[in-house]
Amino acid sequence: MNARLLTLTSDARAAWASEQASGRVRINVCLDTSSIARGAEKTLAAMRAAIVAKNLNAEVGIIGSWGFCWMEPTVTVRTAAGTRTVLYANVTAERVDDFLQKVVTEGADVPELALGVVEGLATPEIPLLTDHPFMKGQIRRVMENCGRIDPESIDHYIAHQGYEGFGKALEMDAEAIVKEMLDSGLGGRAGGGFPAGRKWDFLRNATTSPRYLVCNADEGDPGAWVNRVLMEGDPHIIIEGMLIAALAAHADEGYIYIRYEYPLAFARMQKAVEQARAKGLIGKDILGTGHDFELIVFLGAGSYVCGEETGLINSIDGYRGMPRIKPPFPAQAGLWNKPTNVNNVESYANAPMIMRNGAAWWSSVSTAKEKGTKMFTFSGSVKWAGCVEIPFGPTVREALEQYSGGMRDGKVYKGFQPGGPLSGVVSGGLDLTLTLDPYREKGMFLGGGGLVFFDQSVCVLDMCMFFVAFCEDESCGRCTTCHGGTQRAVEILRRIQAGGGRDSDIENFNSLVKTLVWSNCFHGQFAMTTIKTALKEFAAEFEEHIVQKRCRAGVCHGLIQYNVRSQSDPQLADAVAICPTNAIAEERGQFTVNDGLCIRCDACREVAPNAMEVRDRFAARQAAAAAAAAAGG
Amino acid sequence: MAAEPTVRELRALVAEFQPEKGHLMPALHKVQETYGYISRAAIEAVARQLNTTPALVYGAVSFYADYRTHTPAATEISWCSGPACRVLGGDRIRDAIQHTLELPLGGQTPDHSVGLHMGQCNGTCSEAPQVWVNGEVVGNLTVSAAIKLARDIKVQA
Repeated sequence: MNARLLTLTSDARAAWASEQASGRVRINVCLDTSSIARGAEKTLAAMRAAIVAKNLNAEVGIIGSWGFCWMEPTVTVRTAAGTRTVLYANVTAERVDDFLQKVVTEGADVPELALGVVEGLATPEIPLLTDHPFMKGQIRRVMENCGRIDPESIDHYIAHQGYEGFGKALEMDAEAIVKEMLDSGLGGRAGGGFPAGRKWDFLRNATTSPRYLVCNADEGDPGAWVNRVLMEGDPHIIIEGMLIAALAAHADEGYIYIRYEYPLAFARMQKAVEQARAKGLIGKDILGTGHDFELIVFLGAGSYVCGEETGLINSIDGYRGMPRIKPPFPAQAGLWNKPTNVNNVESYANAPMIMRNGAAWWSSVSTAKEKGTKMFTFSGSVKWAGCVEIPFGPTVREALEQYSGGMRDGKVYKGFQPGGPLSGVVSGGLDLTLTLDPYREKGMFLGGGGLVFFDQSVCVLDMCMFFVAFCEDESCGRCTTCHGGTQRAVEILRRIQAGGGRDSDIENFNSLVKTLVWSNCFHGQFAMTTIKTALKEFAAEFEEHIVQKRCRAGVCHGLIQYNVRSQSDPQLADAVAICPTNAIAEERGQFTVNDGLCIRCDACREVAPNAMEVRDRFAARQAAAAAAAAAGG
Repeated sequence: MAAEPTVRELRALVAEFQPEKGHLMPALHKVQETYGYISRAAIEAVARQLNTTPALVYGAVSFYADYRTHTPAATEISWCSGPACRVLGGDRIRDAIQHTLELPLGGQTPDHSVGLHMGQCNGTCSEAPQVWVNGEVVGNLTVSAAIKLARDIKVQA
């Protein structure tokens, strides 16, 4: 192993050991975007203030996410003796005083907030964290450091086998690194599944220089935040992965392209790169080996198509982020028309442990086809919105019941979206596995890892509208098939939702489905996937909307009407007061809803459920049609 | 509000950036961070510094959703357009807020006191449905709570 790396490692380990032996209670507050949304900064400030004010024998640090995003702020508490660490949830600022009283002053546990014991012995009240229902079945590999180390400390990372994989790679030639990656079977983690080793080999065999590496951290799929958890929880694992790729592909410079919506991830990655540069891991003559590699953290500015690799390349180059026409592929002509390799955050993050532990160890989990673990985030009409790392293969039912806590109270399951606005929608499908094939067979794909569950109160046409309007909004404008086609799809959906569905609409949708696949990039090619799959999976609902003019979920504006059900209900006054358009008005002692003013926002029914009701706007017509059908039959 | 930056100030601000190095977006970020938005003069200064045309710079500015060509509002409400919020009634919340504030998405009041912005999902989906008021999450909203929030902001503005 490289002598300078060995020194870095022994120094970092010594520093870590002395931190563990500080003799003080160590409290680490999870500080990431999800926890900050739930008040973690206030918790952290309250902890610091209380420890100073009361002169407590404790110290405070920060950690990344354990994945329990719905129970933030989470904190770990290590005993003063350094022998036991417990993870707690929902430690809000108001709870800090009582919490510190227990864990520091009394040296006791707080079982009612505990999630589990991270290190040390379990008690009857607090079992091991690995026995928590949310953690069962999870294999924390990429996320191993998340929640355990300070993401802003390179020493913490190095003390936990950090840069050891890079050290191993330094002793291998480029071909051997590529072979190890190919043997592992690591497939692209953004949904494509293309072997990462093959991509690296393309760049290795490029004939010109300089060569570039790009890390695609433009995690644009709404409802997916796995890359954010990693960048905010363990940024160095991504840098190490890129350093290994740089050795394998003889790359000179790398870019980490982060979306504008992730300012904390951007700040942490930038800090991590500066720290790595200060330690001699980035720059000229890395660790005295003669290798050079520069790394730049690059901030996007709000564009979904910049997640497409050539859109991203154009964006760095300084143009509108419009995807290029392929070929040439990035491996031949990418950044500044030089050979370039683009991988996802999670793809790079797997490389260090493949180098460290070998391909055979790495590929020992998951299925015959998919290898290694995958991070997922689950959200939607479920109780828990969290982040997990699991092998490929569990069913969607397990994802829903075990990792998402089931549906929210009063919500009845309807379906899910496997990964992003381009991926499609599934009706039911609880027995499908979280592997690539079942979705490919349906003309969908399992995307970057963000599953969104929805319930019966959601109208599938409204879901289609959401995703197609998103694709329309984010279309770069190059291909008429895409920018024109998505506009046309939105127009048709809008007309159906307004009550103007026509028999020809299904055919028109199918024609758009066939046309958009001729677009240049993935964005256009897959923009109609939601409608294409919804037409099959939810055929009856389309029929109802178009023919019967009925929305079973009571969502589509033109197919429903709000109505005052009870003139005497005491809450009716609240309904009148809350209406943002003053649509509920009194005339000669009777309240009525002015249908022209009503925007169907449902606020009135929310505050006065017994006074207000939603009715089918075309109920009479539907009844007549049903009667005619009965008479005819 | 800060006075309109002069050409000299703008040129000094972006002097560190170079052509052909991927510096366009970092330069625009720096301008927006400093002045809150990207003015016509700033576009010209960036173009001059990067040895390119104002049209090309404006092309990039107008392509990306998060570059502003006008001053931000004092109170900026970002409505989260993500799917977790949507399946929990986010679209109704948007309609209600728009009508309460009498603003479209991307609009602001003439006095720059209140603005409404379409936010993109950043994965705080446990708080869905949500809006961000000057970056602070206001989560687990109902439509009526969103209307009250918008009314309060409108009154205070």
